[in-house]
Amino acid sequence: MGSSVRKKREKKKDFQKPKLKVGKTKAKADNFTDTSFKSKAIVVNQQSLSTTAPSSSSQFSHYLSLASSSKSDSQRRDALSYLTTQIASKPVNDPMPLPTAILLPKLLPLILDGSSSVRSQVLRLFRLLSPSDIGDRVEQALLYTRAGMTHLAAEIRVDALAVLEWLLEVAKDDVVTCPGGWVKTLKTFMSMMGWAVSSSSSKWTSASKVSFGKAGKAFPRQLLVLAQFLKAGLIETDTEPTIGKDSGLFPLCDVARHMIPQRSNAFAHLNLFGSSRDEEGEMYIDREDRQRVFQRRFQSAVAIGVANAKKEAGEAGRSASVLSKVLLEGMADYESVDDTQ
Amino acid sequence: MVKKRVGALEKVDADLPNLQYKIRRDPKSYTEDFLNQYGQYQSQRDIFMVSPSTATSTGIISFRDLIDFVAHVSDCFPEDTAEFPEDLKTIITRHHAELESELREKIVGSLCLLRKKEIIDSSSLLDTLFPILVSTPSKTLRTLLFQKILSDLRASNSKHTNHRMNRTMQNALFNLLTSDRTSQKGIWAVKITRELWKRQIWTDAKAVEIMKEASLADNEKVIGGGVRFFLGGDKEREETLEDDSSDEEIDIGKLKHQGLINKKSRKKKKSLDDAVKKVRKNEKKKNQPHQLNFSALHLLHDPQGFAETLFQKHLQNGKSKLNLEQKLLVLQLVSRLVGLHKLTVISLYSYFIKYLTPRQPSVTSFLASLAQATHNLVPPDALEPLVQKIANEFVSEASASEVASAGLNAIREICVRQPLAMSDTLLQDLVMYRKSKDKGTVMAAKGLLSLYREVGADLLKKRDRGKTASMGLKSGSIKERRFGEEDAGGIEGLELLEEWKAEERKRKRAERGLPSDAGSDEEGDDEEDEEAGWAKWDAESDASSDSGGWINVESDDDINISDSDDEKPAPKKVKFEIPAEDGDEKENANKNLEQKISNLATTKILTPADLAKLQELRLQADLNKAMGPKSKSARQKELAARHTDDGLTAEQIEGLSKFRKSTKEEMVALAREGKGDRSEHKSTQSLRRAKKDAEGKSTTNKEKARKKNFLMTLGKAKYKQKRSLTQTKRVLQGHIERSKRGGKRGNVGM
Repeated sequence: MGSSVRKKREKKKDFQKPKLKVGKTKAKADNFTDTSFKSKAIVVNQQSLSTTAPSSSSQFSHYLSLASSSKSDSQRRDALSYLTTQIASKPVNDPMPLPTAILLPKLLPLILDGSSSVRSQVLRLFRLLSPSDIGDRVEQALLYTRAGMTHLAAEIRVDALAVLEWLLEVAKDDVVTCPGGWVKTLKTFMSMMGWAVSSSSSKWTSASKVSFGKAGKAFPRQLLVLAQFLKAGLIETDTEPTIGKDSGLFPLCDVARHMIPQRSNAFAHLNLFGSSRDEEGEMYIDREDRQRVFQRRFQSAVAIGVANAKKEAGEAGRSASVLSKVLLEGMADYESVDDTQ
Repeated sequence: MVKKRVGALEKVDADLPNLQYKIRRDPKSYTEDFLNQYGQYQSQRDIFMVSPSTATSTGIISFRDLIDFVAHVSDCFPEDTAEFPEDLKTIITRHHAELESELREKIVGSLCLLRKKEIIDSSSLLDTLFPILVSTPSKTLRTLLFQKILSDLRASNSKHTNHRMNRTMQNALFNLLTSDRTSQKGIWAVKITRELWKRQIWTDAKAVEIMKEASLADNEKVIGGGVRFFLGGDKEREETLEDDSSDEEIDIGKLKHQGLINKKSRKKKKSLDDAVKKVRKNEKKKNQPHQLNFSALHLLHDPQGFAETLFQKHLQNGKSKLNLEQKLLVLQLVSRLVGLHKLTVISLYSYFIKYLTPRQPSVTSFLASLAQATHNLVPPDALEPLVQKIANEFVSEASASEVASAGLNAIREICVRQPLAMSDTLLQDLVMYRKSKDKGTVMAAKGLLSLYREVGADLLKKRDRGKTASMGLKSGSIKERRFGEEDAGGIEGLELLEEWKAEERKRKRAERGLPSDAGSDEEGDDEEDEEAGWAKWDAESDASSDSGGWINVESDDDINISDSDDEKPAPKKVKFEIPAEDGDEKENANKNLEQKISNLATTKILTPADLAKLQELRLQADLNKAMGPKSKSARQKELAARHTDDGLTAEQIEGLSKFRKSTKEEMVALAREGKGDRSEHKSTQSLRRAKKDAEGKSTTNKEKARKKNFLMTLGKAKYKQKRSLTQTKRVLQGHIERSKRGGKRGNVGM
């Protein structure tokens, strides 16, 4: 009797279900074989991390986003220097890792960055960009440049001047013809140098005690950049390459003018789609237009300012004379047109 | 992190608040600094406008700060900043959805600041803010805008009512409601209107018209807002008015006293001055004539049409999506309108029928609405089936006591307003419930009984009629009221005036030494009086240009009736003054008086002096009535007129017994009742002590003795045991003596 009970129990054992518990590891099977082993060293003969490591292009865009949005300035600067080396070290004919159209909008706000190392680094990076790409984006760049030129911090103002110099080097015509590029920039110059005139006509002459303005060393430089700017806007460039090119194919003259324009948005001056522009935001495509606006709104202020600056001897005086020379040259052939329009 | 980078040198320039302060002190000298900042603002704005969503405020000074700065000093340079408000408006109008919240709030705040500086006017501000309020998806912005719009409306109405702006705003709200009836945006119109109504800035019919449109909307929320306004808006207004008046009474005497005691400083002096100024202002406000405010229900144009459309659209219409609670609200409003303006919406009554069962949720509200919708011009045929149904469904031996009492109460409330809705068999049946065991039912049945003793005693059984009613019926003084019968209108208190006049005349006679009841030269007196009355009026109204106009209006020959050819009332009045010897004569006099009432008003033109006196007498009579017990008929009138001021509520129908379970708050309140407020568990003694301490009162002798230091009492206690008999005697005698005198010092002065 007793033995049969025991036997029954033993028989039962074979078919008992293992109890599973939540949170516990599953019991090992009976026929489980442990395949783990211990070893002093593991040698891997080929190391390839390419599946997980970021590609160089994604790294590039990562650094770009770091540069544009990181909170710490050292990180921004390092990211910028990485970008610079990447662009500088690429083979000449290779395309850029990212097109300028993407790079520029991200980098432009850095003109106003608080840290000077970041600003100088970004300028270095700008100089590496291909000049042909800049022309179409000058308007946007000028926005930030102007904001920098009127900025509170003196250093940012100086660096913004450097950016403007670069723009003038790269895309001289675009700078002065783009919407707002002529009048607004000139206005910015005026307020930066303390030559601005308030629109409210006060009868009191105020001694200009502007807290920034002709502060020290920056002033001659400002004069020089202004001279460059005026030169770009007021003095005709002599190069007319189109005539020379077309003369070869005799029956066809002025072919280039009838082709699809190479520039983007060639009819921007018609302003077909944007909101209407006021005098300041207008495009001044002709040299005559620019001369007229300059004569009407700025010339007297500039003349007074130059005269005053000439009296200061030294560097400021020298640069003032450069400026006055540009003025003379630029306005020489201007005869005052009636401004009735 | 951004701020850390500002170097020491830059700080001087970058400190916009500092520059702002300087500019405010001397705008001319800092013009160029301002222009620089303005240039910076412009370039930042240009950057911003190119890409509003992505532009971040990097750099030392954010766009936000610049806007703030320019807004604060723009009044110093109006020409330079001419386009600044327009810039802000375009930015907020175009990009309010994608702006970061802080910048958005700053722009709204700056616009309000410009409005405060009166650089832009408030209509243009409202034109900018209101469309955004309606369209923005952000809740925080909505609350901000709502608050700003309200405060702007309040500010522009603070000195005097700005009718033009109110009209444009009201038109905007009206258009918002009517342009799209299904949209939820109308809720903003409701909110703004209600708030302004509450603050008594808008009190005109146009505001009510807006709410009317709201309650006729298609959106549930908007409907609810509109209907709730009509039901509760006026009460809310009254409450805020009371709050305003009783906000804080400043005790000037106390302040002055404090000024004598405390340290004298400029600040203290200034606060005292402020308090005095405030008190003066309050007094001035109190003395101002109370402005007349009509309730929203009275300002409605075409209440009949409104009630009909409300009823058809929200209640009768099978497609309306309102739930029971909202329907009840609408029903309340409709019935309130019907009762108040005595409208005729016959289909309303048959609508009630299906809801009049005890099983219906919140049936007491339905009953209250039904009673509210009843008035004396409702045909009894429409009401009779309803009363019958209530009686059948609610009032029976089998139904629960609270159900029965609610039914009886409802029937009573209906019958107060339209007694003809009751048939005699039903009434006799219902009155029998006064023998019920439940108190609520008994009271309700008794109420019904006493009501019909006054308004329709002939419907009751003879033994239920009571003494006065059966006597009145027998003598014929109580007559059955016909449907639509109205009391002949009179001028309230006219009999009092007449009484007073007679008395005056008597007094004058007595002064002249004439017999008090002679009627011979009464005319002269009368004329003199009247002359005086008019003269005074003329003198008073000299300033107003159209004073004489209305004297000539009545060209009847009644005018010269004041020569007392046929002025019999006067001597009779005199007689009335003499205490009547028996009841018969008094009754006679009373009857005569009733006739006279019509006489005085029709035979004479009341002079302004008379009217003033009439008002005075009326007030006095009201006071007397309030003090003494009310007559039954007065109570009756009051009951019937109650719903003109306040609607009937479900609680009144429920009566004593509760129809529903009491909520927890009610139970707690019931338990707390009568226990006083006791924040912590302390003895009554200590609570009393604390109260006295708070009032600054000192302790009693007993308390002092109780608190006395033990060691100080020890010597006396020891000595007590060693006293000799004579000493003890002297002490005891002294005690008796003192108690007789009333203490050590004695009540000598008594």
